Amino acid sequence: MASLATGNHIIQGEYRVTADPDVALTTLLGSCVAACIWDPLLHVGGMNHFLLPGDNEQQIRDSERFGVHLMELLVNALFRHGASRQRLVAKLFGGANMNSQLADIGSRNAEFAQRFLRNEDIKIVGESLGGDRARKLQFWPATGRARQMLLPKDVAPSEPRKTLVPDLAGSGAVELF
Amino acid sequence: MSFLQQLKVLIVDDTSTSRMLIRDGLEQLGIRNIIHANDGEQALKMMMSTPAHLIISDFNMPKLDGLQLLQAIRSYKPTAATPFIILTGKADATVLARGRALGLNNYLMKPVDMDALKRAIEGVVGKLR
Repeated sequence: MASLATGNHIIQGEYRVTADPDVALTTLLGSCVAACIWDPLLHVGGMNHFLLPGDNEQQIRDSERFGVHLMELLVNALFRHGASRQRLVAKLFGGANMNSQLADIGSRNAEFAQRFLRNEDIKIVGESLGGDRARKLQFWPATGRARQMLLPKDVAPSEPRKTLVPDLAGSGAVELF
Repeated sequence: MSFLQQLKVLIVDDTSTSRMLIRDGLEQLGIRNIIHANDGEQALKMMMSTPAHLIISDFNMPKLDGLQLLQAIRSYKPTAATPFIILTGKADATVLARGRALGLNNYLMKPVDMDALKRAIEGVVGKLR
């Protein structure tokens, strides 16, 4: 399931928040999307990295619920660091359609992130989404600075096709008191 | 009016996308009378003016968190017995123990599975259909 990254490299399903001006978070994105969100006044920010798969409507709904959860974890962690909802701004990266056979999974991930941020009134101040090339991303959470490098077309990050969503049934488990 | 049409549910979550997800889930169950609050303070005001029959609240919220809201709801006589379900990111034993001590009826882990939501609601208000 979603987890807090321990290092500065963020892999799929992870997120990290920091106010350390010397820290640059890095990630490698294919169809995945990374949301970089920060509070420009407080100089605290963070990044997540997610892939929402699904071949049919039910799978897509399930994975979007997981996506909402991952976005919430990042935003809640920012609040815990004192960030204010009204000040949050975001940059989005990734969502490439790496493989024509995998249809539009990258676009779907990108649209999901845009929709979420719009719903939450978090302003998107920069984005680089879509295309057919992988991205190497660096993000400095304290300042919001981001730098990306497009990788050559034949380079795809080794993303697990199997996702980190799988255990939804278990995750929603109820314990009756 | 049927039971489901009458059942009024208050959703409390500071993330509007999460509120919409829960609302969708409730509507799929046939529940129509749904109100929301963005945070615990707003939820308390709503419970004092137009009380709901059931509260589904996020745990992690600014101002009042889910347990503080529960505590306030339990200590206000007209709402003291209102069923209360909490949504949490992770099952934290300390949080759940505190919840239990405060009279929490049930909890669900995010991302919320819709079948689990149905079971949780049935667990506190009885079979839905």
